Amino acid sequence: MIRFSAASVTYPGGVHALRHLELEIGPGEFVVVVGLSGAGKSTLIRTINGLVPLTSGSLEVNGRAVPELSRSGLRELRSDIGMIFQGFNLVERTSVLNNVLMGRLHQVPTWRTLLGMYPKPDVAKAMDALDRVEIRDKAYVRASNLSGGQRQRVGIARALAQEPSVILADEPVASLDPPTSHVVMRDLQRINRELGMTTIINLHFLDLATAYADRIIGLRAGELVFDGPGSAADAGVFQDIYGRSLTADDTMAKQAAL
Amino acid sequence: MDAAAAGERPTTKLRWVGTAAVAVIVAWAAYGLDMKWGRLLEAPGDLYTVGRLMFTNMELSAFGRLMGEMWESIAIAWLGTLIAAVFAVPLAFLAAENLTARPIVGTVRQVFNVLRAIPEIILAIAFVPIFGLTAKAGVLAIGIGSIGTLGKLCAEVLEGIPKGPVEAADAVGANGVERLRWGVLPQSLPEIASFVLYRFEINIRASAVLGVIGAGGIGQVLSESLRFKEWGTAGLALLIVVVVTMLIDAVSGRVRRRLVLGSRADTGVPTSAVEEAALGHVAEPI
Amino acid sequence: MTVVEATTAEHDERDWPVKPAPSAFAIVAGVLALAMTVVTIVSLDFSPRQVWEALSRPNAPMRGLANPDFGQLLSERSRGPFIETFRMAVLGTGAGGLVALPLALWSTRFGAPNRAVYAMLRVFNNIIRAFPDLLWALLFVAAVGVGVLPGLLALFFFTIAVITKLTADTLDGIDMGPLEAADAAGAGHTQKLRTAVLPQILPSFTSFLLYGFELNLRASAVLGLVGAGGIGSRLEFFRGQGRWEEVWGIVVMFFLVVFVVERISVVLRRRLV
Repeated sequence: MIRFSAASVTYPGGVHALRHLELEIGPGEFVVVVGLSGAGKSTLIRTINGLVPLTSGSLEVNGRAVPELSRSGLRELRSDIGMIFQGFNLVERTSVLNNVLMGRLHQVPTWRTLLGMYPKPDVAKAMDALDRVEIRDKAYVRASNLSGGQRQRVGIARALAQEPSVILADEPVASLDPPTSHVVMRDLQRINRELGMTTIINLHFLDLATAYADRIIGLRAGELVFDGPGSAADAGVFQDIYGRSLTADDTMAKQAAL
Repeated sequence: MDAAAAGERPTTKLRWVGTAAVAVIVAWAAYGLDMKWGRLLEAPGDLYTVGRLMFTNMELSAFGRLMGEMWESIAIAWLGTLIAAVFAVPLAFLAAENLTARPIVGTVRQVFNVLRAIPEIILAIAFVPIFGLTAKAGVLAIGIGSIGTLGKLCAEVLEGIPKGPVEAADAVGANGVERLRWGVLPQSLPEIASFVLYRFEINIRASAVLGVIGAGGIGQVLSESLRFKEWGTAGLALLIVVVVTMLIDAVSGRVRRRLVLGSRADTGVPTSAVEEAALGHVAEPI
Repeated sequence: MTVVEATTAEHDERDWPVKPAPSAFAIVAGVLALAMTVVTIVSLDFSPRQVWEALSRPNAPMRGLANPDFGQLLSERSRGPFIETFRMAVLGTGAGGLVALPLALWSTRFGAPNRAVYAMLRVFNNIIRAFPDLLWALLFVAAVGVGVLPGLLALFFFTIAVITKLTADTLDGIDMGPLEAADAAGAGHTQKLRTAVLPQILPSFTSFLLYGFELNLRASAVLGLVGAGGIGSRLEFFRGQGRWEEVWGIVVMFFLVVFVVERISVVLRRRLV
């Protein structure tokens, strides 16, 4: 359960990234956030696991007030939230398995992680996570040898290995081609339906949003301007969110045709 | 068009001023130097004579002894570089702006600068009275002398790593140590190791020479044999120094290439500024 | 919610891919490094405890370090050698740089008049790069006697070694376009180099000259230790007499100056490249 109350984020340079956000996301929901670059999507996602602190207002995640958490409290919170990045953020030089095992860092004693001696059950969880995204056979391959789509699946496996209650995805398919993007979105959808993890995804391709989202949140200049089911979001709604008419860049299918 | 022309003129004028200044400085240097310039003309002849003496009649019987001394120089360089690494690498973390607070970074970097400025041989002449005419003096001279450059280079590696994996470590709830171990280290360790090896290559040269003041190694034999005009021994010693140094350079170069490029070592090219620096002969041997 | 149902170890592991053995390179390199460390410690009889004891015992160099004689910069006897050091560094860099540029040009594929010269120069450069500056000085003192001349010669060759390598490496990476254009226009060999290559390389080359000057300044301080002129002779003089306050005085003063030169050089070099 995620609840924003009058939440605002202002960056040191003076940019108002989020303004008085009132938002509630229940457990198990599959939410897509859309908006222009700079509308506050990235900021919104990163406040949930505390990577970006709130300037004012309150934020409650799974019963914990995020702004009041201590450093170890934040780490505890983050271990319960899996994050997937646009740039995959894998450690290129090491194996896929080691990357996924990073998801177990909080649960395993530090000395063990330093030496790379993870306990068998944790390795099993990592392998199962890899299996769920159908890439377990590449467990010992060096991350740099994978394609973009494969890397993102490793990113998803890393998040899954945390056994989180929430999954955050910041433009997870922006660096991928259309077919691969659909694969990743389907994976995320499947995980949400099978495992019940609350899933919040930033997207900038509107056709992907309508195709997969149960619920769409529209942000414009840091403010919430739309909150409704995917079916209710048509071209007019999106033009409203974007504050301009739509172009081919806004839809994956049209951009691919370019 | 006028603006472009106007932009040209200041730089050309600056260049002329610069060249003129340099010419003046060079003239000042040449004019004031207390040297018999006539000797310069005799120099090539002298060099040829000495060269001939050294290399046409090498004292092959001394080969074993000289190799032993060369080994001592190598050992001094290795141990010294290792000691420097033990101090410099952790300190480099404190000197990296993306990992540590500004004031600490500033202080540590200044310490590095001071240490970089002192040539090893001066440290060595200070250490000889303390440790005696033994290899220990050489090891410490090289060790302490290398901390500065090694630390600076490693700090630059650390500052150049992509931030993505570090953010990922934060996002999974890793603590500080784990963040370093899994976010920072895998991206920087190969380059750091490469710089340590590179420093080793340079320190071989330094340690070969430290013997001149008695801190052990082949430098001592070289300097003595030159002083007593034992040309055969000197020639052989010089040959050994040059060949061994070049060999070590070659082997170390390949290892460094493999470290940085991984399995791409045979065909690949560096893909980042940091990789390039770690592979190339960095424009900063000292 | 869990990703994994309660697992029985055997069920899963059989489906897992096999962990590959560590690469031969990693093993060999690791073992070699370890062996090297152990062997060197033993053969040099190196013990940190002894080192610590020796350092904490009172001794002349440390005492002198606590009380350096800063007057050395102004002392009559030392001022001459100070300046001499500077002059040596300037001339050595200038002369060495002058020769290094054509040598560097000739050691590239496009600049060399023929394959033989190219190959020879590359080998030659590799060889002379193996010589530390002090080694040059030793050799030249033996050949031409003590004084400033051997020092100058040493710096000359040392500079050539450093700058030729740096310049040749940069030349390997220049834009071939202007060169092709010059070729197409029918330019002669030297003309080509002068119009198509030189302008591209001049900023970097000047930067290398400055860098070489820094190196030479530092080197020239110690050349005097073997009799090749410069402040090193004063260092040797005071050291021989055990007057460490003066030794450190000279060292500190000299390297303060080097530090200033370095700062200026860094600024200049940044504006060049």
